[in-house]
Amino acid sequence: MSKISEKNLIGESVRRREDFRFLTGRGRYIDDIKLDGMAHAAMLRSPHAHADITKIDASAASEIEGVLCVFTGAEWKAAGYGTIPTKSAVRKFKDGSDLKEPPHHAIAIDRVRHVGEIVAVVVAETRDIAKEALDAIEVYYAPLPAVTGLKQAAAEGAPQVWDLAPGNVCLDFGLGNEEAQKKAFAEADHIVTLDLVNNRVTAVPIEPRGAVAGYDAASENFTLWNSSQNIHANRDTIAEAALKIDKSKLHHLAPDVGGGFGAKNGVYPEPILICHAARLIGRPVKWINDRAESFLSDTHGRDQVSTVQLALDKDGQFRGLRTETLGNLGAYCGTVGPFTPTGGSSRTQGGPYKFDAIYYTAKAIFTNTAPLDPYRGAGRPEASYQIDRIIDYAADVLGFDADELRRKNLVPKAMLPMKTPMGLDVDCGDFPEVYKRTMAMTDRAGYAKRKADSEARGMKRGFGVCAYLECTGGGPKEHAVVNFRDDGKVGLAVGSHSTGMGHETAFSQLLAGHLWLAIDDVVFTQGDTDATPLGGGHGGSRGMEVGGSAVLQTSRAVVAKGKEIAAHLFETTSDKIEFEDGSFFEPGTNHTMTIRDVIDASNDPDKLPDGVQPGCLNIGTTFERGIISIPNGSHAAEVEVDPETGVVKATHYWVVDDFGTIINPLLADGQVMGGVAQGIGQALLEEIVYDETGQLLTGSLMDYAMPRADDIPPMHVGYFEDAPTAKNLLGVKGAGEAGCVGAPPAIVNAVCDALKGYGVKHIDMPLTPEKVWRAIRAAQA
Amino acid sequence: MPAIKLRVNGREAAAEVDERTLLSTFLREQLDLTGTHVGCDTSQCGACTVDIDGITAKSCAMFAWQADGAAITTIEGLADGDKLHPMQAAFREHHGLQCGFCTPGMVMTAVDFAKRNPDPSDDEIRHALEGNICRCTGYHFIVDAIRTGAKAMRG
Ligand code: FES
Ligand code: FES
Repeated sequence: MSKISEKNLIGESVRRREDFRFLTGRGRYIDDIKLDGMAHAAMLRSPHAHADITKIDASAASEIEGVLCVFTGAEWKAAGYGTIPTKSAVRKFKDGSDLKEPPHHAIAIDRVRHVGEIVAVVVAETRDIAKEALDAIEVYYAPLPAVTGLKQAAAEGAPQVWDLAPGNVCLDFGLGNEEAQKKAFAEADHIVTLDLVNNRVTAVPIEPRGAVAGYDAASENFTLWNSSQNIHANRDTIAEAALKIDKSKLHHLAPDVGGGFGAKNGVYPEPILICHAARLIGRPVKWINDRAESFLSDTHGRDQVSTVQLALDKDGQFRGLRTETLGNLGAYCGTVGPFTPTGGSSRTQGGPYKFDAIYYTAKAIFTNTAPLDPYRGAGRPEASYQIDRIIDYAADVLGFDADELRRKNLVPKAMLPMKTPMGLDVDCGDFPEVYKRTMAMTDRAGYAKRKADSEARGMKRGFGVCAYLECTGGGPKEHAVVNFRDDGKVGLAVGSHSTGMGHETAFSQLLAGHLWLAIDDVVFTQGDTDATPLGGGHGGSRGMEVGGSAVLQTSRAVVAKGKEIAAHLFETTSDKIEFEDGSFFEPGTNHTMTIRDVIDASNDPDKLPDGVQPGCLNIGTTFERGIISIPNGSHAAEVEVDPETGVVKATHYWVVDDFGTIINPLLADGQVMGGVAQGIGQALLEEIVYDETGQLLTGSLMDYAMPRADDIPPMHVGYFEDAPTAKNLLGVKGAGEAGCVGAPPAIVNAVCDALKGYGVKHIDMPLTPEKVWRAIRAAQA
Repeated sequence: MPAIKLRVNGREAAAEVDERTLLSTFLREQLDLTGTHVGCDTSQCGACTVDIDGITAKSCAMFAWQADGAAITTIEGLADGDKLHPMQAAFREHHGLQCGFCTPGMVMTAVDFAKRNPDPSDDEIRHALEGNICRCTGYHFIVDAIRTGAKAMRG
């Protein structure tokens, strides 16, 4: 037998167990669910960004053959349903007053506040009939002035989205020591100021959102299958806040989920509406968004404008940083929406660089646009862009070498552990070493030749870097439960959620490796409120950190219980028993039994000590994270720009990440690469655009530019594994979001480097050919 | 309602379809072949790609009745029982998929491409994927998978 230890399978690129079903078309996604008697719902969405609903006439729609029911906000209100609350962790203004939370009904009651807001629901025998019936509903609107842009919404005299939020301000926020920051600024030799736009984007999981709801009148229980990443928390909100039922009355499940990236984390109106519909017609109801609706109604991300100021001495030493941000919330608070531009964007201000003081201040602003909520990174990409972009800008305008500035200011290893000026607990790592390893990967020696080749073809080549610091987040608790089954398999259920990350493999790998079982014998369950008592879902790169730790903790509890059983059978005490190579044994004796024997014994009352029940190895434990982890790393990019057309091509990409322990390098690579591609998409291609009346101009995949294979360069990914964190059981730091934290500044820095010769100082994302072309012309004019 | 007859994954299928039923809808709803995915409404994402008489096509971009008489292969028709097609195996080996939603279309496109170009360069692979969007992988491992899959297909 090959040597296996507790570390076995940790660090191995185990191929994915879920892949067979995905590769053969046997995945089961939300739209693949078919239930007997299932009806189909379609949503009528507002064409206006801001309008009073004066009347809705649904009589013609109701009479269409095959239509089962139609309902509007009036019926919703009469039925007494509750609103969808925000769970933002920041809830107070700087002056201590409460955040302004407008009522978020699942359906508009008498006023719409963004294009795409639901005003009526049709349920019919087929999806086609339901959609057709939408056209027969007559809605009378009295349009109101709308506001979509951040600066316009924050300006004096702007149209007001909510009466309860004067000036459209939902929340203001400050973090850091403003006095110390001002002092640092006063003492510094230079202060550099840069205005930055973090463009509004959207996650675009390739599977659109959807759900199926069922209702059992006898038990008054709902079952909701939902293409969601956060089954437990959303069960509580949907049941208790919106449907006003006990949460035990709602069984919430997610089937295979086709990508999420944050956009499937929150509570959305449609699943709530179809629960109502299922109860109303006494049949299961399915709703699937089409792509056009997804652009209108999925939560969007980023959308911040910031003024960033960096104070530094004449030798290049950083002294202080100040960032003032406006963050767009859309028309409602979102599930955690107000947190992103405030707390979420504040914590990693300053990145891995050393500062005397940092002050961050932000306002979260309502507009007549779709609600914003976390998109992969949620605040950390913004912070990383701010610091790493202003470093290159400062180097350019003050005549420093950007590489030298970074090396000079990275927090040295000797300073760790430390608390950053933003209060982050950085326990371990080696930022200069990680930066050095990244640079060593980048083939700097060959750069001059590549640049000359580009020049010979009339192209401009540039190189850009970002050293990022990020932090995990999301629910702090996770539950993992094992169940040793009669058929020899072991069930493993975890409340954390994969939407493509491969938990079925990575968690099984941990359990099987620890218990010396065959990974193929692990039967994995996620996304089911009946399978685990609690679950933190997805988000904040928490899967391995919190979920993986729960699996390991449960595995250890199984071994501890196994020792008790073995000790009983060996007539000794469990402290004498060891577990190794898949066997429980008492050193110095010939007493030994395999884990399989112990599993069998655990179900046999004759073999168990007094007071221990059969099935005693079926254990669930909850792991709770104390302090969030600090992934960090460095990205480097090379780009080529065609100055005649403004077209940017990313040609090379390198990353070294410190994610602590790497459980499955192949899956970690996948996370990094996918995140980098999303970051490159944000930097070069993607933008959600509303016109000033609130119409969405980028409402399809023809208008919203998604990165395709030839937009993305090959990527080289390495890991620094010398600093596992002690904050969780595995020493992991979280891998899910880092890619899109580091990529935008690396890419924009590379493009600005390429265009230095023209005098271009900065271009706002996305760096489309038109913007690049114009920037070159403007700089030369 | 037009009556159509076609072969799907080697099996005869006959059905009555509404004029406006898309081929993707027909495959998913009437034949229960839910491996063909629908990710958009503008023929952009490629998740619905199938093989029709030896040519890959986006099944969301044609009506079911237009496939009358055709022989169609969907993702369900690629593996030989439990034995993955070499391109499927290469996607698994190289981690060319995460959520799996774009995957059926990616694999169908890749198989067709590798038949026409058995020894492709990475650039050619990337261009061949212009009609298929993946949001999860960043494409790098898909390119690796297609290079390996093409090699395995040429034997
Ligand atoms: S569903 Fe056919 S291309 Fe998107
Ligand atoms: S694997 Fe998720 S979209 Fe490609």
